[in-house]
Amino acid sequence: MNRKRWATNGIVAVALLAALLIAEVAQAETLYVQAKTAQLRSGRTSLDAVVAHVRFGEPLEVVSREGSWVKVKTTGGTQGWIFANKLSETKPSGGGETLAALGRSMRRGAASATTASAGARGLDKTSEAYADRSGISQKDREAVDRMTSYQLADQDVETFLKEGGLGEYAK
Amino acid sequence: MRSKFIAGATLLWLAGSLAGCPEFQRAAEDAAKQSGNERLAGVIRGSGTLVAGLLPIGYEEESSIGQAIALQVIARYGGLVDDPDLTRYVNLVGRAVANTCDRPDIVYRFAVLNHDSINAFAAPAGYIFVTRGLLKQVKNEAELAAVLGHEIAHVSQKHILDVIQRSKRIAGVTEAGLAYAGQNPAAFKHIIDGAVKKLLDEGLDQSKELEADTIGEEFAARVGYDPTAYVTFLTRLRQVKGDDRAFFKTHPNFSNRIQAVQEVIQAKGYKANGQLLADRYARLSKRI
Repeated sequence: MNRKRWATNGIVAVALLAALLIAEVAQAETLYVQAKTAQLRSGRTSLDAVVAHVRFGEPLEVVSREGSWVKVKTTGGTQGWIFANKLSETKPSGGGETLAALGRSMRRGAASATTASAGARGLDKTSEAYADRSGISQKDREAVDRMTSYQLADQDVETFLKEGGLGEYAK
Repeated sequence: MRSKFIAGATLLWLAGSLAGCPEFQRAAEDAAKQSGNERLAGVIRGSGTLVAGLLPIGYEEESSIGQAIALQVIARYGGLVDDPDLTRYVNLVGRAVANTCDRPDIVYRFAVLNHDSINAFAAPAGYIFVTRGLLKQVKNEAELAAVLGHEIAHVSQKHILDVIQRSKRIAGVTEAGLAYAGQNPAAFKHIIDGAVKKLLDEGLDQSKELEADTIGEEFAARVGYDPTAYVTFLTRLRQVKGDDRAFFKTHPNFSNRIQAVQEVIQAKGYKANGQLLADRYARLSKRI
């Protein structure tokens, strides 16, 4: 009998705890950074000081909203305003890279044939071999090389947005 | 004794397949060979390629595919316009849109093709092209942003990779699995040529084009460009090209596309109060 009561009490306690946790989760709205670069500011204008830089995919807890701006709190506790177009309700998936890496590791030697980050280099070995087989001219190869290694600083894009009154710089 | 070997090798193989570990797979293959069962060893060897062929294409492979398709686009569309200021401008507009798209964590690069046709293309891994002919039809930066948004959406939604992934399944995964390793250039070429034919000659599925229109519209609007600009642009092209013929002979007709974009504007509650930036565009478009 006692054992039964203990069991019942236990179940009730677990259920209560679960209900509390669910209520807690329901209260805190989480949004995710959906932008290559994003910053939290001390106020709701692009002129306000940057208080933190946040990364793509980072979860942020919503504190309040005001027009196109959302006040958020990072997991580290820093609070600031972020322009709403840089947030998403769903966690960015990252494009199934884990499964993809698995596939790559199974295709033996695949990684060595391609560049790890196509940020600054030109044609990789696989596409170079494709160009050879397809009779692509040197001029066209150089064009893809140039395109691949084309650099544009994030700051330049930010200045471009500012000059055009775009994004968080909208009037 | 032999059955023990077979059971052991099969277990190792299953464990390896589940863990996706090539070392496990090799150990299982070796165990099967030692047992004298060449057939089982062959099955195990093939399984890695089979499973690998069904798994999604990762960024490194996507990058090789994107470069190979980019080579064909440039070769067939007159090469690139060599104008650093124009290239920089198109890249600035493109990056402004791409930075807050649904897949902002890869590098997008934009280039102008030296071709009179009204065209734009996207290859995987963010290789995006617009023709000189298309730029002549554009009247302001918001229209260009929407066109680039459409192409960025093809990349973010992995439309071309989807075509390749499906062709892998149809063509047989063994060949496809090897192709990406760069160890079988003939198979890689076969896959790329198929994708190029689909992209440049046959066109993607109409549903993918409409999806790129609606998602691209959203990407451009997010940055603060005027949401009605794309409707204006598509309407102008309908006047220029007529509605009987599709934009690139590969796209849905303009009326359907305009309607799809207008539905997004309505559903999202967009207002026609964004930036058009006609002057900034005019300064650069003089050079086309």
